[in-house]
Amino acid sequence: MTNGRIRTGISGLDKMLHGGLLPRRPYIVSGPPGSGKTLLAMQFLLDGVQGGERCLFVALEEPPNEIKANMRSFRWSPDDIEILDANSDIRRFEPTPVLEISAEVEPRRLREIDDRIRKTPDFESHEVTVHSLQQLLKTLLIKRRYERVVVDSMTALRYFCMRDFEETLTTQSFMRFLAESQVTSLLTVELPEEGNVPPEAFLARGEIRLHKLRDETGIKRFISIEKYKGSSHDEFVYPFAIRETGIVVDAGGTAETRAS
Amino acid sequence: MDRTSIGVPGLDAMLGGGLISGRPYVISGPTGGGKTILAMHFIATGLTRGEPCLMVTLDEPPNEVKSNVSAFGWNLDKLKILDATPDIKAHKRTRSVIDVGTTLDVRDLEDVGEIRQSSQIRALEVSVHSVQKMLKQEFFARLERTKERYKRIVIDSLTALKMFSMQGEDSRIMIQSFLRFLSELEATSVLVSERLNPKVLETEFFLSRGEIRLHKWLEGNTIRRAASIEKYRGSSFDDAIRPLTISDRGITVDSNGTVRLSGLHTRQLGEGYLEQRIVEEVSTVIDGVLRGIDDAHRLRIPVTDVDRMLARAMLQLHRRNYEKALKAALNAQTAIQERLKSPPVPPPPPTVVLPPPGGRR
Repeated sequence: MTNGRIRTGISGLDKMLHGGLLPRRPYIVSGPPGSGKTLLAMQFLLDGVQGGERCLFVALEEPPNEIKANMRSFRWSPDDIEILDANSDIRRFEPTPVLEISAEVEPRRLREIDDRIRKTPDFESHEVTVHSLQQLLKTLLIKRRYERVVVDSMTALRYFCMRDFEETLTTQSFMRFLAESQVTSLLTVELPEEGNVPPEAFLARGEIRLHKLRDETGIKRFISIEKYKGSSHDEFVYPFAIRETGIVVDAGGTAETRAS
Repeated sequence: MDRTSIGVPGLDAMLGGGLISGRPYVISGPTGGGKTILAMHFIATGLTRGEPCLMVTLDEPPNEVKSNVSAFGWNLDKLKILDATPDIKAHKRTRSVIDVGTTLDVRDLEDVGEIRQSSQIRALEVSVHSVQKMLKQEFFARLERTKERYKRIVIDSLTALKMFSMQGEDSRIMIQSFLRFLSELEATSVLVSERLNPKVLETEFFLSRGEIRLHKWLEGNTIRRAASIEKYRGSSFDDAIRPLTISDRGITVDSNGTVRLSGLHTRQLGEGYLEQRIVEEVSTVIDGVLRGIDDAHRLRIPVTDVDRMLARAMLQLHRRNYEKALKAALNAQTAIQERLKSPPVPPPPPTVVLPPPGGRR
């Protein structure tokens, strides 16, 4: 932490945020599929564990074994990041007992994650609802004193763990819960390629947006701060690249590098 | 990580050697874009390597799939194909509706004959649940029979599966569960999906571990085709859009070729958000430069060259060349700032500017 701010683990982004994130608030990382949200979130947690903080990754999109395997292609050791497997099991259509996630699941350090996917047991299945997840997180945050939490993704939480009619309200209450829990959290939000911004964006204290633009030579990636309450921030859209060291934002760019 | 080759060399090269094994992927694109052919490549490659392959067909009955691919000269006899095309809809109440999952019509492609006739007494209906059940039964029956696991699974198409079967089911949760199911089988699976509305975020696009997108557009009178990787978790990939051709040998992708994107085409590739941001950004810079020019006029600093630079920026903005516009605007900004910072020596501003107010009369 520098001058009371939390570093994101990406120096160019910290520069854009004029020092980093204000602690103990929820923030959104938004972008279309494949724009680098999960990676950005991982770097945020990596910076935390490197500073000796306890960090939690709540996985709702991918099984932990795959996250572990995917992170191997980068030059880091994210082994101390803890992962909570909040992926629902295969749904059953027969009346078998449905277990709430809160009763069963414990976060595990990335290094302890199995290489193969966890299988849905034959006679019972886990179902993750926003209520049970919130309950579980509440206990965990008190017991384990996490300082940084990532929820990947809020879209999955909204799509698979809530009922239609209560989506916006429940999302709002979930984010309120995170704010009251006094952790610094990053929540990823999937954006459609065109059209409207989902409601999560309005509810957070800040939004970092990743953009994907295609031209003849390939995908160009850009990053911008859409909003940041309580702090000044950079208004520009900067290019970024995904390298072996993760996301690299060129925020000191001159006019030339910025435009080319 | 273990890779599964699709069998189109150019595409495998773009993927850094193929798909990471054991995960679900999406092939997307417009109608007639070559999605099914690409999926069949994936199957044919598996079969030549002796891997058990399974295909669920919902768009076309198996006999049509068979005749459509016969032109490519692949040996697909050992492909297990599961016919999940729905029957003629029963409009009469007297016919009982029966779930397609109960029939388990899985057969080798070589045994596929004529189209299955809708039953007179029962009409088959499709649901995600029933397809999942069929797949599961077949997967474990095969494991039991031959001690082999299916290595490659194709669902053609997920779009049809969703459209046919969503009465009363929450489609998002069903698709999430279905993808989880496929992941747990640890087979490399390919889901064919049509991108119907770019404004709606469909579950499979963010839950799948990668998306291969096929493109098709008209350039004059000729149809152009291309392929791109939109997302690929856990691997680096070639992010350029590469030309694709369909011939009697199937699909070829030129991994060194380049594609000229026509205006319409780039817009489809989703620059909505960014465009707006860049327009705002360029406008802000231009406003700043304009103010600077006003100041310069007041201080009698010659700035005609900056005027010209600014005009160039506005022209580029008008032509929607945003990057060039931004560059030109930023150049103008730098120029005007420097001009204002270092007042030129020849006309000493304060002494020249001050006299007029009280000077004459």
